[in-house]
Amino acid sequence: MFKELDPILHSQLRLAVMSLLISVKEAEFTFLKEKTNSTAGNLSVQINKLKDAGYIDVTKQFSNNYPQTICKVTKKGIEAFEAYVKALQSYMNPNGQ
Amino acid sequence: MEQESFSPQDSLKIIQSMLEKTREDFSRDDIYFLVWGWITFIACTGQFILKNLVHYPRHYQVWWLMMVGIVFTIYFSIKERKESRVKTYISESMKFLWIGMGITYFVLSIILSKTGWSNTIFPFYILLYGLGTFVSGCFLQFRPLVTGGILAWVIAAVAAYLDYDYQMLMGALAILVSYIIPAYMLRKKTRSVTV
Repeated sequence: MFKELDPILHSQLRLAVMSLLISVKEAEFTFLKEKTNSTAGNLSVQINKLKDAGYIDVTKQFSNNYPQTICKVTKKGIEAFEAYVKALQSYMNPNGQ
Repeated sequence: MEQESFSPQDSLKIIQSMLEKTREDFSRDDIYFLVWGWITFIACTGQFILKNLVHYPRHYQVWWLMMVGIVFTIYFSIKERKESRVKTYISESMKFLWIGMGITYFVLSIILSKTGWSNTIFPFYILLYGLGTFVSGCFLQFRPLVTGGILAWVIAAVAAYLDYDYQMLMGALAILVSYIIPAYMLRKKTRSVTV
């Protein structure tokens, strides 16, 4: 039985951002941009979608007079990511094992 | 990265490649191992030379070199914190492990200065190097550090059977195998991944 894939996570860039954030405590916008090889505009839009879904926390601060955007995955985000991976497994092993 | 339809297999590939990318950023800690490794190595061998070859009565003063390490660590960690764009659980764990180790060394110095230094200080210090490098090696999943930590434990046990003067040399040996050599290997590995 195929489980439904979370549409918020089933998008290349949003999934990439969540995969990065799931394994770190927090990361800055420029780190995410570099690792996902995306444009600032597109990344910004996708980060806002993840934030609106409650999957990540976004904090804006200043460091050496430069604005910094720090992203951190939330408990809800971790649960959604785990559910997404489980759903993926149902596609990989459709017979249950 | 563009938005387009993609399969569950593509999803797994994205997750896997992103997880690998965070692993690449783990190991900037080699600089601390190198600086502390060389300072402690110089202090151990320096004290041995000053005591046994130069016969300088205040040979233990060579340990003031540790201040250089403390100043460097404070300066570099502040600089790194400003430049750092990501905080990993491993970098945070490593930070607290070594802060804890530093405090333990300090308290141990107080205890041993009260109860008597001879024949105990170096085995205890080497024992703690072993713990720090073993746990760090496990965090970083870097086998030479794990091996270095185990070797330091063996050296600590051997040092307990030796005179104070030779314990210093065992301290230098422990630093060489548990800090300095693994730090150069870690540096080589980090460079080869990031270049």
